[in-house]
Amino acid sequence: MIFAIESSCDESALALFDPEKGIVGEWVHSQIDLHKEYGGVVPDLASREHLKNFFPLLEASEVLAQQKKITGIAVTHGPGLAGCLALGIAFAKSLALAWDVPLCGVNHLRGHAYSPFIALHEHDPASYAESFKGLLPHLGLIVSGGNTILFEITVEGALNVLAETVDDAAGEALDKGAKLLGLPYPGGPHVEKLAATGDAKAFDFPKAIAPRNERRFSFSGLKTSLRYRIEKMDDAELEAAMPDICASYQSAVIDQLFGKTKHVLEVDCYQSLGLSGGVSNNKSLRAAMERLAKRYRMPCLIAQPKHTGDNAAMIAFAAFADPAGTATDQVSIEPALRVG
Amino acid sequence: MTDLIQQLKHGIVTESAEATERIARDFAALVPEDTVLAFHGDLGAGKTTFIRGMARAWAINEAVTSPTFNLYTLYQGSRQLIHLDAYRLESGADLDALMIDDFIKPPWCLAVEWPERVADSLPDDAWHLYLGIDSKQSHTIRLGT
Repeated sequence: MIFAIESSCDESALALFDPEKGIVGEWVHSQIDLHKEYGGVVPDLASREHLKNFFPLLEASEVLAQQKKITGIAVTHGPGLAGCLALGIAFAKSLALAWDVPLCGVNHLRGHAYSPFIALHEHDPASYAESFKGLLPHLGLIVSGGNTILFEITVEGALNVLAETVDDAAGEALDKGAKLLGLPYPGGPHVEKLAATGDAKAFDFPKAIAPRNERRFSFSGLKTSLRYRIEKMDDAELEAAMPDICASYQSAVIDQLFGKTKHVLEVDCYQSLGLSGGVSNNKSLRAAMERLAKRYRMPCLIAQPKHTGDNAAMIAFAAFADPAGTATDQVSIEPALRVG
Repeated sequence: MTDLIQQLKHGIVTESAEATERIARDFAALVPEDTVLAFHGDLGAGKTTFIRGMARAWAINEAVTSPTFNLYTLYQGSRQLIHLDAYRLESGADLDALMIDDFIKPPWCLAVEWPERVADSLPDDAWHLYLGIDSKQSHTIRLGT
């Protein structure tokens, strides 16, 4: 069994993964309430909280009861906040020493990249290797507050980045848009809720700043155009138009994600489409990607909601499914680690 | 070139992101080594655009993205650029907790967005740039004294 530890940002999380069964347990100490009052992540607070969280979390989990079955420890070594990563690694190293098991460092972003395959493995662990191979080459999209990455996993198992954002991440565009509209943190879900009753065609926001064939995302201009749009409105107008603005703004973000992914599918051949990261919980985005996969007659694998945020299950799973992407020699913090 | 400093002290109006980047490129050559630059300005004022222009002047060719969620990004070119966004920080104590000192290598430039969040932690000799938006097309950039 692989025991995994994740603490790259807000969440202190632990998970146990059995290659013959799947995720057998996962425990998260969510810090979202703590950060809400400050309007964001507070690193010092976050680091200290990880230290406070890990031991009670370990005791509350089933990890100690299963300890004899643990054959290796996986820990997130980057990218992330230096202080938070350092605490997770120190915790992992001390347990590896005490239990006399090997330790490996997992790239947080590769954890997200492989998270849509967790359910596939769980469905039938014995045939996972074969069914995974049948889904290659795979085209995947990671969308979160800090990342927007379109990547492929080749038949040989190599992970290549196809497009990344050149400015803001998609989730950040939604959160900052929400902030401009005076909605609470984190704003993405509030935008989605209001958008559900709005008309996505009511306002014209720039759909794709970068030409379609250019393999990059850009969301910064979208935020600026929202700013100009609402500056011209008084409070009553803004209040009345809120659902339409949210729907139009959200649709501009999703259209760009959809458009780039579609363009890559038009040019190259893939066997499956994947979606992961915090923003993959957005229902309109999920529907758009499912529609796209259907059009290209390929399965659409979407990370389960519990594995879209920062979680340790995806770290354990990546250590198992993507050993080439792990660091085994010397596990040290790498705050600016790249995905591929 | 020092004319640019004088012009910036009076405030320069730019009509596009490309123009802001061009000014930032020229400005980068005038920034002393190991300097903290504080970028004041609201969402969408062009802070990241300006910092991207400076990065290009220092032969940093990778994408310069918003560090709002990741808090800071390190770039290595002819000079090390540390692009920090204090938007989600609460105080100077939190700035210390980022352990940036452990990664810094001279000659460097620390560019801070939302510097008012960590005002007490900024050195007295930091340069302050004020970015504003007048109307849809024009942004102003002013160097504080």
